[in-house]
Amino acid sequence: MLPLSLLKTAQGHPMLVELKNGETYNGHLVNCDTWMNIHLREVICTSKDGDRFWRMPECYIRGNTIKYLRVPDEVIDKVQEESKSRTDRKPPGVGRGRGRGGSQDGPGGRPAKGIGRGFDEGGARGQGGSRGGRGGLGGSRGAGRGRG
Amino acid sequence: MHFFAEEVIVLLIDDRKVYGCLRSLDHHGNIVLEGARERIIVGDLYCDVPLGLFVIRGESSILIGQLRFGMEDLPEDMMCVSEEEIKKAQKVEKEAKDLKSFMMKRMGFLDFLD
Repeated sequence: MLPLSLLKTAQGHPMLVELKNGETYNGHLVNCDTWMNIHLREVICTSKDGDRFWRMPECYIRGNTIKYLRVPDEVIDKVQEESKSRTDRKPPGVGRGRGRGGSQDGPGGRPAKGIGRGFDEGGARGQGGSRGGRGGLGGSRGAGRGRG
Repeated sequence: MHFFAEEVIVLLIDDRKVYGCLRSLDHHGNIVLEGARERIIVGDLYCDVPLGLFVIRGESSILIGQLRFGMEDLPEDMMCVSEEEIKKAQKVEKEAKDLKSFMMKRMGFLDFLD
């Protein structure tokens, strides 16, 4: 369990974030990312001396300005539960990886999402759409929708 | 790391001292402490303020040290006080420090002030 996965588990919980400049932000965690950038809702901001307060409906805090976070105690139990169920579901080392699969899947394979446009564009479907399962190639063909 | 599930002290960049049970650590030095508390020391008074579950960003910790549990020995004259008292003492100390720095700024040329 890493500190950031704990933070991920704390989504929806109230928390206190103190910034390096001493300001504190109390609010409910909406989301966070691997840079520790944090999105809070229903926030109360407190100045460094603790004598001024601001309310705001939501705020987004850049991760590198954070000094520390205070999280409710029950989150650690939850993260242990979650990581346990994750290992139960999928033992490590038997995954199929995340490469550009699809060619062995046969006709039933999941249609790959192309990078190009035209994937959901009716007129351009002639070439691109029929090549489901071939990864980015189908998408890039689909992008040439001038011909369609 | 041999510190896991042990009592550690973490010194933060703002000179705060936080104790707790080390639960997790990553390659940035981000730390998770369970049952954390901050020890505030003012003169010969001290107080442990409970903080709960605490996530410290790696950049903001100066050191992590192991505490052998139950081996904390304080000097005789240290006195444990309540949170309000320590906050009051902290405020008084800060005011005195501010006043001193103000005086030094204005009257720094007088070398008997120090």
